Amino acid sequence: MAVIEADALTKTFPLRGRRQACPVEAVRGISFSVERGERIAYIGPNGAGKSTSIKMLTGILHPSGGTATVLDLVPWRSRRALAARIGTLFGQRSQLWFELPPRRGFRLLGAIYGLPDDVARRRVDELGALLDAADLFDVPVRNLSLGQRMRCELAATLLHSPQVLFLDEPTIGLDLLAKQRFRDLVVRVNADQGATIFMTSHDVADIEQVARRVIVINHGVLIYDDEVSAMRRTLLATKLIEVAFERPPGQVCLAGVQVTESSTTGMKLVVDTTMRSIRDVLDTLLDRYPVADISVVDPPLEQVISAIYAAPRA
Amino acid sequence: MLLATVRGAFAEAWANRQSFWLQVGAMAVNDLAWVAFWLLFFNRVANVRGWDVGRVLLLFAVLTTVAGVVLGVFANARRLGRLAAEGQLDAVLGLPVRPLPYLLLRRVEAANLGDVLFGGLLFAAAGAPSPQRVLLYVVGSIAGIVLLTGFLVTVGSLAFFGGNGEAGELGFHAILLLAGYPVDVFAGGMKLMLYTVLPAALVAAVPARLVDAFDVRAAGLLAGAAAIFALLGWATFTLGLRRYTSGAVWTRA
Amino acid sequence: MTARWVAVAVSTAVQRVSGDRGGMLVTLGFYVAVVGTLAALWAAAAEASGGSVAGYDAAALAWYIVASEAATVALNVRMIEGIGDDIGSGAIAVELLRPAPVLGLRMATEVGRALPRLAVCVAGGAVLGVATVGPPPSAAGALLAVPALVLAIACNIAAQHAFAGLAFWIRDATSAWYLYQKLVFIAGGMLIPVEVFPAALQAVVKALPFIAMSYVPARLLSGAVEPQLLVLQAFWLVVLCALAVAVFSAGQRRLQVVGG
Repeated sequence: MAVIEADALTKTFPLRGRRQACPVEAVRGISFSVERGERIAYIGPNGAGKSTSIKMLTGILHPSGGTATVLDLVPWRSRRALAARIGTLFGQRSQLWFELPPRRGFRLLGAIYGLPDDVARRRVDELGALLDAADLFDVPVRNLSLGQRMRCELAATLLHSPQVLFLDEPTIGLDLLAKQRFRDLVVRVNADQGATIFMTSHDVADIEQVARRVIVINHGVLIYDDEVSAMRRTLLATKLIEVAFERPPGQVCLAGVQVTESSTTGMKLVVDTTMRSIRDVLDTLLDRYPVADISVVDPPLEQVISAIYAAPRA
Repeated sequence: MLLATVRGAFAEAWANRQSFWLQVGAMAVNDLAWVAFWLLFFNRVANVRGWDVGRVLLLFAVLTTVAGVVLGVFANARRLGRLAAEGQLDAVLGLPVRPLPYLLLRRVEAANLGDVLFGGLLFAAAGAPSPQRVLLYVVGSIAGIVLLTGFLVTVGSLAFFGGNGEAGELGFHAILLLAGYPVDVFAGGMKLMLYTVLPAALVAAVPARLVDAFDVRAAGLLAGAAAIFALLGWATFTLGLRRYTSGAVWTRA
Repeated sequence: MTARWVAVAVSTAVQRVSGDRGGMLVTLGFYVAVVGTLAALWAAAAEASGGSVAGYDAAALAWYIVASEAATVALNVRMIEGIGDDIGSGAIAVELLRPAPVLGLRMATEVGRALPRLAVCVAGGAVLGVATVGPPPSAAGALLAVPALVLAIACNIAAQHAFAGLAFWIRDATSAWYLYQKLVFIAGGMLIPVEVFPAALQAVVKALPFIAMSYVPARLLSGAVEPQLLVLQAFWLVVLCALAVAVFSAGQRRLQVVGG
């Protein structure tokens, strides 16, 4: 059964320039459907229309065209009824009270969601354990680090046991470790609580580690919608390796590896992981050449997107 | 639910106690400065078009009470325009609550609570309180509060329809500036405006005059105007919300 | 060297503000509203007290308000709060790393921002005054009022920086702003000519720096030809600048000790 259904969803914003006003089409006729319990990464570069879509699906924005239902409700018509059953988390907007400890904020949110006091308290304890955040709940929000704060924000979002979780760029601004931890928690929430996850991001790692299905939009249009495993085989099959050498390495030649940049002190390599595993490449490099430093990174989202455009349509 | 919101907002203001008292104190200084102004003014001038020092202090007591409650307890009323224009309503709209009452109560401004206290004290000291006058002062202040909130929400909600919320800021400054003076020093079109589109006269001057000299017609007009502005604020906000852009408006192309 | 960055800072700020037509219009609108309101109040007061209050007739009072408000409205309203925020958030710590003295640069910028607004307000006030009560009572007084307005702004900016420096010690500088603003309102003669005060209070107020910020240009424009008032302003400007420097360098030391 579908929990989210978008049909030709469109949003046009007025553009207020110096003189004339002309509209900007942020989202142009997007359609998709999400089943209960799925983990969706809704990705695209900055300004692609991700946030606009999520805000229409949560009823914050009224669309200019098309329609959608979430849990069988039309979000912008039944915003309040829907809000009671979904959770929303916006990466850069806090729902907690800045000067108060999260626990105090939870009490308030509990009242707002109509949870009886004892239920709310039990739920907070449960979430403290689930998110390893119990010790953070009594520190005023302003004294928390961003990573800690996001864990508390996630707890706030989960307080009323939502059936669908909308996360808008939740990992933005977090450091690598905090990102990793947050991703693990999201997956845990999905497994433990059965909540459907709908998460926007422009970080490729978010897709690989959180989602099972990925929807890519660009310039307000849906350009890709498939399982992450399929995407991994086709579009995410490359990793970038940056190597620095202690002394000129001489001729470097590895099967399945393409050299994109090369000098006497370093090199940039693209590895096709369907042909050769990253581990194998790293072992070979370390064995044969005078490596001083080495790092592996995901290809940037922009590259994935141009690959989508380049790929023949199935 | 609303009660919980208010409690949370107060707790937040209270969490920063040192700054809370500092702000309340600063507000008291601010108000005392105005009282000093009026005392100095009436030191040389006996009576200006029916307003003597007693009545002007009464006006000021009502004004501080009204402004204190509106800017203190409904602290977001004056910020509505900016919040709407900058797309900061997302978090509120994600909650299963009526956005307007929740927003108004979401934030408490400690400094302005000092005003409420000051207004009460000033009334007690200079307002010659009798049971009837106390009642009129309280009821009149409530009317002023409803009216001012309605007005601020109305001008703030204009931001949904265009602009960056300047209308809200401008309306806020204009009404508070003009509400502080005996309305009768103005004449003609200006005076008419202060009773209608920019209802500064109704915020404090009319309630103050009612305390001194009750008049059923004026009271009826005040209540009517308060109701109209409350309704106007609610309607503009509700209609405006449909056009909310969540900050996704490119303002400078 | 010093003259150069001051000049650049001032002219950059002048250009920035002059380019902002909307902001300029808001300032002018606010100024006209305040002047109109206070002039109406004082006109009614003069009418109620047989034509004049403390030696000022209705025309003198109107011109008094034109200058007293121009000298204050032209300033950046949120200056104190802004400086306080920058100190509180640690932004100022970054500025302290620049080779030019932070305080001087900031003050020069504020003067530059205020000048175009001052010009617009004075122009608007002049039109308003001439239209309602006729030309200023004394041409010489009006002439003296021009440098007095500029000095008033400079004094005000110096004093605001000294006050805002309190944010190095207290977290919320907003209260400093209220306190300061009210002192200028009353003791600065912004709302009320100092001559209206009872004699004893007058003596106290005239010994304080606040009269340099509003009362002096207003007194001159209202028809009093008292050039010695300009000397008084210059004196207070030096004192207030010294005070601001003292507060900031003490604050800077504190920042180094306790951290931003």
